Amino acid sequence: MFRALAVLILSLAANSAFGQAAQAQRIPRLPNGKPNFTGLWQSMTTANWDIQDHIAQPGPFFQLGAVGAIPGGQGIVEGGEIPYRPEALAKKRENKANWWKLDPEVKCYMPGVPRATYMPYPLQIVQGTNNIAIAYEYATSNRVVNMGKPTEAPTDTWMGWSNGRWEADTLVVDVTGMNDQTWFDRAGNFHSEMLHVVERYSFRNPDVINYEATIEDPMVFTRPWKIGLPLYRRLDKNAQLTEFKCVEFAEELLYGDLRRQPKK
Amino acid sequence: MMRNRVFASLEMAILALVPIAILGQAPKPAPKAASKATPKIWTGPKTPWGDPDLQGTWTSDDYIGVPMQRPTQVGTREAPTDEEIAQRQAQLQKQAETDSQEFVAENAKAAVNPPGHWGERARRPPRQTSLIVDPPDGRMPALTPEAQQRQAELQKVRQGNPGGPEDRSLYDRCITRGVTGSIFPVIYGNGTEIVQSPGFVTILTEMIHEARIVPLDGRPHAGKDIRTYMGDPRGHWEGATLVVETTNFTNKTGIGLNGGGVTHTEALKLVERFTRLDASTIKYEVTIDDPQTYTRPWTVSFPITQEPGYRNFEYACHEGNYALHNILSAARADEANKK
Repeated sequence: MFRALAVLILSLAANSAFGQAAQAQRIPRLPNGKPNFTGLWQSMTTANWDIQDHIAQPGPFFQLGAVGAIPGGQGIVEGGEIPYRPEALAKKRENKANWWKLDPEVKCYMPGVPRATYMPYPLQIVQGTNNIAIAYEYATSNRVVNMGKPTEAPTDTWMGWSNGRWEADTLVVDVTGMNDQTWFDRAGNFHSEMLHVVERYSFRNPDVINYEATIEDPMVFTRPWKIGLPLYRRLDKNAQLTEFKCVEFAEELLYGDLRRQPKK
Repeated sequence: MMRNRVFASLEMAILALVPIAILGQAPKPAPKAASKATPKIWTGPKTPWGDPDLQGTWTSDDYIGVPMQRPTQVGTREAPTDEEIAQRQAQLQKQAETDSQEFVAENAKAAVNPPGHWGERARRPPRQTSLIVDPPDGRMPALTPEAQQRQAELQKVRQGNPGGPEDRSLYDRCITRGVTGSIFPVIYGNGTEIVQSPGFVTILTEMIHEARIVPLDGRPHAGKDIRTYMGDPRGHWEGATLVVETTNFTNKTGIGLNGGGVTHTEALKLVERFTRLDASTIKYEVTIDDPQTYTRPWTVSFPITQEPGYRNFEYACHEGNYALHNILSAARADEANKK
């Protein structure tokens, strides 16, 4: 009796494992057999507030009450700690203390990589036969991942220089050539122009991408560190990017003092 | 002062000569290179899933300087004469020499203009006398009375000192050049990169980092209250041609170079046609239909080409927009001086 039950359980377990394997086979693929990441994706973390664990806090503008408060959430940093050099940690704390005055996101500047991935906006991947386009809703920023022979960044940019390659079913994107103007989050986590990010995109199932990135920057961190989070496929009917050209939302902040009649 | 005037009159003389050179020729039949027949059945490269393959980076550089509207004296003559082509060829040759020689020419207005080599250049003479190909006279159709009023108001705002950012163009503000302004040839930033996947075409333009995601699955347009600068594109294939129909626009962009010109209304509908003619050429065509602004639909067309070594770079316009700050602070300083 017990033996029969054990066999039943074992066979159920085997079936379920088989089921998972079958599902892995069913991930969308292009005619060339590569996984097809084309689609609209979005993170569901609060990492753009802070890539590390954080509790809910009041926002900087009391007038906004609960609407302007900062939600708590679990971080996306593997092991929890970011290995800052001592002087860099001091700068991070200063950034955090002056968050909204210093955060490039407030000014509608392009967010850089990896931050663009986990901002509270969707991103659209269009996977071509030569290159892969990634369009982010925030600030209509975008980048094209070169899938051909790797090329060197000709100069530093906000969104960096992306060279991609396949490791089995994982898309690996090597990002260099980023300037030192972008942050990782609204908590002041930052980097220098020595930043080197290696991203890994792989399917967990047809509607979830496992996103991982290794962060290396010897000017700011004592060793490489990792982040990881799922990206969910937006299944809303006819879901698409909705233009978020935020420049005009930042103009009063940037140029308001130069108006003929400054707003009160 | 005198010296400046001499130069000014010299410039006037040169300016006066150019149209004569262009227009002086009797309208004789010229080679109709621009109107290569549109292939009905696609025999060129295809994606592995069977769509015509338009992927790559394309530039409208060759049509830099071609006027949007044909000078009236040219009438319905679509193609430049052999002499005009030879003249343009010589001009390009000379420009290339200047670009390679100097960083900033001694007499360049360096405070206003960037060094010559910052610009993009045509590689071959254009084969059209105007960017507008329909109406047949190459002229923009008459504006509706309502649009004329709109244009007059806009000109008034643009003429004076700007009171704030809103009084300058969306381009000056690094917000957008709109759909047509992003591909029409100008001094630089003429690159368009196309990336295709089953069900989607992405059209990325360098300036100001626009990414148009064009679904091909026949889904309906976004709801009527979703209005955006770049509109809501939907695409389908007609033989070898990618047809992109875009609606849901705001009433804030224009159809001119860099998105300038009279602002259109929310009724604007654009139909673009991308047809690959050969390995390195796509025929681009856009029909502009906004009955509240133009008295009839009109069409702009020009080729975009793939060129060795040409690619898009990041154009961080807003991030480096010192110009708008300077324009506004100069306006305030000017007003303070006049008090």
